Amino acid sequence: MVSPVLLIVVPLGLAFAIPLFGFISKRIVKYIPIAAFAFNLAVALLLIPEVLKHPIVVRIGGFPPPFGINLVAGPVGVLFSVLIAVAGLLVAIYALTYIKEGSKEKYHMLYLLLLTGATGVVLTGDIFNLFVFFEILCISSYALVAYIGDRAGIESAIKYLIQGAVGSSFLLIGIGLLYGLFGTLNMADLAQHIESASPISVFVPMVLIITGLGIEAAIFPLNAWLPDAHSSAPSSISAILSGIAIEVGLYAVVRVIFTIFGVSSIFMFLVFLGILTLLIGEMCAFSQKNIKRMLAYSSIGQIGLIVFAMAMATSLAVTGGLFQLVSHTLGKSLLFLAVGYMIYRSGSMEISSLEGMGKRMPLTSLAFTIGAFSIVGLPPFVGFPSKFLIVQAALAKEAVLFTGLIGLVLLGTVIEGAYFFRVVQALYFKKGNGDSERNEAPVTGLIPMFIFVTLIIVIGIYPKLLTDVLNSAASEFLNRIDYIRSVIG
Amino acid sequence: MSLEFLLAIAFGGSLFTYVLGKISSKLRESFAVLISLTLVVMIVCLYGKTIEKSFYFGFLGLPLILRTNMLSWLFAIAISVLGSLSVIFSLSYIKNRERADFYYLMLLLINAAMLGIVLSGDLLSFFIFWEIMSWSTFLLISYNRGAALAAGMKYIIMSTVGSMAMLIGVISIYTTYGTLNISEIAASSNLASSGYILSILILFFTAFGIKNAILPFHSWLPSAHAEAPSPFSSILSGILIKMGTYGFILFIYVIVGLNKFLNLGHGVLSFRYILCILGALTILIPTFIAVLQDDAKKLLAWSTIGQAGYIILGIAFGTSVSVAGGIFHFFNHAVFKGLLFLVVGAVEYRTNGIRDLNSLGGLIKKMPIAFIGALIGICGLIGLPLTNGFVSKWLIYKTLILEQSPFLAFAALFGTWGTILYSYKLIHNIFLGQLPEKYRDIQKSPFSMQLPIIVLSFAILLFGILPGIPLKVINAIGVSFGLESLSVTLWGIASETGALNTINLFVAILVGCIVVAFIFKAGQKAISVGQEDNYAAGAAIPKDKYHYTVDFYNPLYRMITPYLKDFIDAFYMKLAGWTQNLCSGVRRIYTGYVGHYVMYIVLFVALLIFIQVKWSLW
Amino acid sequence: MTFLHDYIYYIGAFGLIFIGLFIMLVKHNLIKVIIGLSILETGVNLFLIAVGYISKGTAPIFSNSAVESERMVDPVPQALVLTAIVIGVAVLALALSLAIRLYHHYGVLDLRKIKEQRW
Repeated sequence: MVSPVLLIVVPLGLAFAIPLFGFISKRIVKYIPIAAFAFNLAVALLLIPEVLKHPIVVRIGGFPPPFGINLVAGPVGVLFSVLIAVAGLLVAIYALTYIKEGSKEKYHMLYLLLLTGATGVVLTGDIFNLFVFFEILCISSYALVAYIGDRAGIESAIKYLIQGAVGSSFLLIGIGLLYGLFGTLNMADLAQHIESASPISVFVPMVLIITGLGIEAAIFPLNAWLPDAHSSAPSSISAILSGIAIEVGLYAVVRVIFTIFGVSSIFMFLVFLGILTLLIGEMCAFSQKNIKRMLAYSSIGQIGLIVFAMAMATSLAVTGGLFQLVSHTLGKSLLFLAVGYMIYRSGSMEISSLEGMGKRMPLTSLAFTIGAFSIVGLPPFVGFPSKFLIVQAALAKEAVLFTGLIGLVLLGTVIEGAYFFRVVQALYFKKGNGDSERNEAPVTGLIPMFIFVTLIIVIGIYPKLLTDVLNSAASEFLNRIDYIRSVIG
Repeated sequence: MSLEFLLAIAFGGSLFTYVLGKISSKLRESFAVLISLTLVVMIVCLYGKTIEKSFYFGFLGLPLILRTNMLSWLFAIAISVLGSLSVIFSLSYIKNRERADFYYLMLLLINAAMLGIVLSGDLLSFFIFWEIMSWSTFLLISYNRGAALAAGMKYIIMSTVGSMAMLIGVISIYTTYGTLNISEIAASSNLASSGYILSILILFFTAFGIKNAILPFHSWLPSAHAEAPSPFSSILSGILIKMGTYGFILFIYVIVGLNKFLNLGHGVLSFRYILCILGALTILIPTFIAVLQDDAKKLLAWSTIGQAGYIILGIAFGTSVSVAGGIFHFFNHAVFKGLLFLVVGAVEYRTNGIRDLNSLGGLIKKMPIAFIGALIGICGLIGLPLTNGFVSKWLIYKTLILEQSPFLAFAALFGTWGTILYSYKLIHNIFLGQLPEKYRDIQKSPFSMQLPIIVLSFAILLFGILPGIPLKVINAIGVSFGLESLSVTLWGIASETGALNTINLFVAILVGCIVVAFIFKAGQKAISVGQEDNYAAGAAIPKDKYHYTVDFYNPLYRMITPYLKDFIDAFYMKLAGWTQNLCSGVRRIYTGYVGHYVMYIVLFVALLIFIQVKWSLW
Repeated sequence: MTFLHDYIYYIGAFGLIFIGLFIMLVKHNLIKVIIGLSILETGVNLFLIAVGYISKGTAPIFSNSAVESERMVDPVPQALVLTAIVIGVAVLALALSLAIRLYHHYGVLDLRKIKEQRW
């Protein structure tokens, strides 16, 4: 039996070993993340069948759960681990040739740390440990945003850092308050005792924790860092930030709300917050001229949709939300990867400079088109079944309010369609100014894109690949009693 | 032969054509023609069969079902025939254009998706194919670049609005009935309240109305039809927008059922009446806007909207004769509008993309086949006897008059006058009159363009003289809806009031023609004079200076222009402008100053605490 | 006075937190904002310690001389604070190094002038 600890230990160890490897050979360094995530992917896939039966609880240091730190590898944790490993692996392959400048050891070490932090957040069963992994994720992403060291990158990184640091302070205050109230940091144990405290004393830590995590999850109005950071980072990092980092933030928010606090009264508020995030993200994306900023705002919109779905808190809705999360990871990572080389070739992030790319980089443009169609939710791509589930969940509520809200969601989709289709047109049907030599992305760039495209189409046509895992993940979120029981025993 | 096999060939063939195109263009073209003809043959073989079969269970636990019946078959045959003719036409039209692989891929993909729509037996696969059709159409409309980009955007945005409405409708049906199988929904739709049915119909009819371009939703169509490559315009106008018609028929007659449909509201406010009025307005206004157009394809595009009005009027009116008329008019419109777009495409091909009616003229001797096609096409469009358009329009008029709907009948007839005006303008300004100097050396259209024109012209006459062939199928469709059967004969419809017998017409017209021919023979021989002679009383005028096609119906223009502004389109454009302003306004909340961002975070906490203190929600 | 005596650490902690936030909200100079951040983090750390502190408690070390274990302060928050301090140092160091790079690029540290990334 493989242990979920390996998912964290191996990449973490390799991350710190990278400088050492750097002494031996500079060239070996960039293959380490690939090895790490290939290993993680294998472990996480092996864990799936076991986890679907019952969650694996790992006690670190041998203390039984309320004491000590424990890892909980439930369906949610493993689902996210697989997602992180897939995206991490593919983007690491992409980075082989994409990352040319700067110190590669730093890049790959930070990259490994970022994703280790993400894996840790989704696997941990201890709220302070969650904070620590969260900080690992955040700090390495601050540094990676500034990796190129240009004006935009540094400026975005410092803004991201300031907001992120405020957020993590809030998070820490919240955790401190919780500890003061209950004397425990174990999430299951907290969940067990949460009802014994008076609502108002639980309310303050909840607000602080939601705010602190919500910054990383890019919930409006806490998401001002996102468009800057995602557009200024190297494209491979944008793909991870957009595809993994904010999703992990969202996971943390959802985990805290569903499992620890178990408050159903906040859901309505979150539904509106999700709609607001969605509409504002899409509207901002609509008026962008910079392709990466456009994609970044589109991520905000997608996050809004996921928040909306999760906050409906029915089994169907959470399944749909998780599905949307997966399809967003696949689609948006693909988009950023494709855009990365287009920007590299054209030398500018303006949408107008991508005109005629369909001739110059046909495969990359095709990948972009498929990613865009998937994000908009067109069949036969993966965005369609996820959107279908969310709409179904909203209509299954059989309330006029939710029907109206889903109308707004689909209005957002129309706006989303408008700006994505505009870019697709620019790629294929506008004459590029400049050379029209065919100049395709290198093979290491195309392979990850190809795999993403394959996943998008295969899952889009055969969503059953995912639905079992998603269903049990959704029930892990919704049945907090089961979660508590499986951890405390 | 199984339906999934058919669709697999259609979709697989389109992808394979693309791959072949990378090897050789000859191979690609012959394969594209082969695939589209294979589909025609396969669909012909399906005639009269009723199959219903689930073929895929992997999608979220919903079975995807394919089925065929008379209704599907009629649409499928129209799709495949027009599709293959358009592919044949494309052989020379697209020959030296860039991205021909992409063009064929999209053309065949759209045909495959349309086949999927009409063959799908559940609303989910209906929706999936609908969406595939929508985005591939968008890509193909944009193919011509330039002005086509704006046209494509307009199309896809409106289409997305429609699709989203439809998505809500589909899923709402699923949550209500627990199934998406069309026949199961049809069986249980009596259970639902009429309020629910009304809301579902409004959602779906938004989608179908946008695709079918009925009046408040027509705005995308003129530019899209005008800017798309001509062989595709012919599919777009002939078949693709008729997917909306298919949807209307499916929902009114199959899913909701006629009785329920007629009982939605009453009197002037009944759903049916509103739909009929929309159909009538769709006939009236666009037809006269078409008269004003100077771009041949824009003219045809507006004419398409007008003709779609007849179809909707016929279908929504809901008597067996009118439904037969509506469905038959869909079929006929596919034939003659497909033909006319191909003719204009042939002219455009030879004149290097000139579609401006004011600068063409006199091509009759240069492109005789195209002229004959155009002549027969406009005869069908106007509805002259012995063309198919006559029969379908006659059926619609007859119902409207018999059922005493004076306004609708007036609209239908008045629309035909407008049709005559713009049809004459079309054929005159392209083929008759003076041949501009620069077109002296124009070639006649290549054979691959002539063949589809000939086939479609022949079809117009055939179904005009022997309308019983399609009417038999249409009658079977009507019967399957529970409408009373018409007594269809090979040459028309026999009934007590106003029987139709095209053989009598044929004989009468033949005799008339012979008489006129004799009179001509008996009279004096005509003297042929130079074309310029009768303009300036024999004085020499420079060639190409005098061109009498500009301002063709000048007095009429002056009369109707003020009333026929496209207010709806202007409104949509304004709406788009507002949205744009709103969007660039909204993004100013991200001011770039990090102090504001920190303030947002603090304010968010404050807001949550405020809500709790004020209302103690949690 | 007993109130003040019992809650002095909390008051101090939240005082620092609010001062830090206030600085971050109103100051335009990046260095000052980072100082505000540092004060904010110090406040948070103080707060965490205060959560585990028992008045007149002893260090949580088990030894033979330890007699009354209930007078020991809670060791967990101290562990947390250690971690938090380390993280805080990392963030602060990163922030300052970014500030240096930012100054190279812009020549100013006034955040109102560093607004290229917006909208």
